Formats: sequence, C-alpha cells, structure tokens
Amino acid sequence: MSVRRIEVRERVMERNDAMARDVRARLAGRGIFALNLVSSPGSGKTLLLERTLRDLGDELHMAVVTGDVQTQNDADRLTRWTNDLVQAVVTGGACHLDARQVTDALGALDLDALQVLFIENVGNLVCPASWDLGETAKVVVFSVTEGEDKPLKYPKAFQRAGYVVINKTDLLPYVPFDVEKAKALALSVNPELRFFETSALTGAGLEGWYDFLRRSVRRPVASMAQVGTAP
Amino acid sequence: MHELSVALEVCRIAEDYVGREALPRVREIGLAVGRHSGVEAGSLLFCLESLLTQPPFTSARTHMERTAGDELRVLYLEVDDERPAH
Repeated sequence: MSVRRIEVRERVMERNDAMARDVRARLAGRGIFALNLVSSPGSGKTLLLERTLRDLGDELHMAVVTGDVQTQNDADRLTRWTNDLVQAVVTGGACHLDARQVTDALGALDLDALQVLFIENVGNLVCPASWDLGETAKVVVFSVTEGEDKPLKYPKAFQRAGYVVINKTDLLPYVPFDVEKAKALALSVNPELRFFETSALTGAGLEGWYDFLRRSVRRPVASMAQVGTAP
Repeated sequence: MHELSVALEVCRIAEDYVGREALPRVREIGLAVGRHSGVEAGSLLFCLESLLTQPPFTSARTHMERTAGDELRVLYLEVDDERPAH
C-alpha cells in the first residue's frame, strides 16, 4: 500500500465567489446598484420592497430577485409593483441564496435597462452572511421586535453589511427596544455601518432610504427614457 | 445550517482533483475550518460522514483543523495508490 498526500489548499467557497465576482463585474459594467437584503424572517423586507417599488417606480428602474423558501407569497406581493421580478429557484428548506441562483436570475432581466437590483434573500441571519452574491452591498433589515442584541448574536451578517435598516419603528412605543443601544452594538461589530430608521408600514423614515437609493444610482436617470426605444 | 451545501462542495472539489489527476482511492480529506467561518464543525463532519460512503471516498476520513478567522478550505487529499509498499 502506498499512501501519499496531495496538496489542495482550495477555498470551499471559491466557485461561488468566482460566480459572484462575475455578477459584480456585469452589474458594475452597467452601473447597476445591487443590494442584497438579509434579515430574520418577518423583519419587513418584502413590505420595504413593496413600498420602494411603489414609491420610486416612476423614477428608477428597479428589479427584484426573491428567494422564498416554501411559498409564492413574496413574489405574489411584489409582482403587483414591478414587471421585473425573478423568483430564484429555492427548494424547500434552503437557507440562503447563492451566486449561481443570482447568475441564473440575471439571465431573465434586461440589465441594460436596469438601475437598481434588489436581492431579497431567504429570511435567516446566519447563512446568507456567508454567501457573496455579487451585490454592491448587503443591507441588514433589523426590526424593533427582535431585540437590540441581534448584532452580537449574528455578528457576521452585520460585519458583511454596509447598511442597516431599523424597521417597524411604528412599534417603538410598544416594545422595549432601544434604538441607540442597537446602533451602538451594531457599530461595535462593524464601525462602518450606516443606518436608516423606517416604518415600511406607515412610511415614516422612508424618504431617507429613497434619497440613498437615488444618490447611489450611477446610470443617469435621464437615460432611462432612451433605454428600449433606441432603434 | 448550510453545512450540507459546504460538505457537497468539499466533495466536488475532491472529485475534481480525483478526476483531473486520475487519483486512486481517497483515504483522508484535510480541511481548515475557521472559528468564524459560519460553519458548525460537528455538523459538517456529520454531513461528510454521510457523503463519504461512495467510491472514490469509500471509508475516507475527515481531518479538520480549527483555525482563527473565517477560513474554509480543503487543505489536502490523502490517497492510496493501492500498490504494494516497497
């Protein structure tokens, strides 16, 4: 018997990350601002997107890739507000989206006409943090019913994110949630985080979120009218 | 929660090497798993134990090095050439 050792030293995530790099290059090449929304289940991701699509739909050309584990519910809600919705193939029980699913989804979208891409990840603060999807930035949607210590319990999600949307602020009078403490704990795991405080239900604070989206769009809004009408 | 996906990817990387280099039976797969990799070590070992039952992995072991940071890497394959030792 002759036993020998073959050096491999290959990153387990390399194939996903290579696809994510490709997605990022394709999006960046067209100036598309892509946000990967991660959160616990029930934080309000879908309602935030519904409001955003409804309120900015006349200004920005937006598309959504959504990953719902077991139902069509999110897709059914979002298709009321956009024609550019791709439902990622998510088998029952999957805990995250990966770059392959986003690559497939991009094939169903007219990228030349797109300014903002939202990826609504599976509701889970653990696994989505480990998968790069090629997004411009991750956004943690963090609702005030969850407890301020979520950033300490799920540090990777907050470390990998650029932005935090503290949502359901309409419930603050009824829940013992300290917004400043939550921000301080989030900043303790990632000092670069930027925050939005919103109620997707009442619309409070959404203007700041919308301004951020407007400012982040790199493809001029004026060029939208020309897209699709050129000979 | 996604340890099965990670285990499947470990097997795919190992199978790539086995196919590309025409390797014989794999006896051991060496992994580096960072403490902040988002992977639960016991669960990953359990998944690999379930997957490593078919050739060329039949009876293959997993050796896991716990490292700092978020590393997640296949370090080596130990293969048996099934030739008599000299």
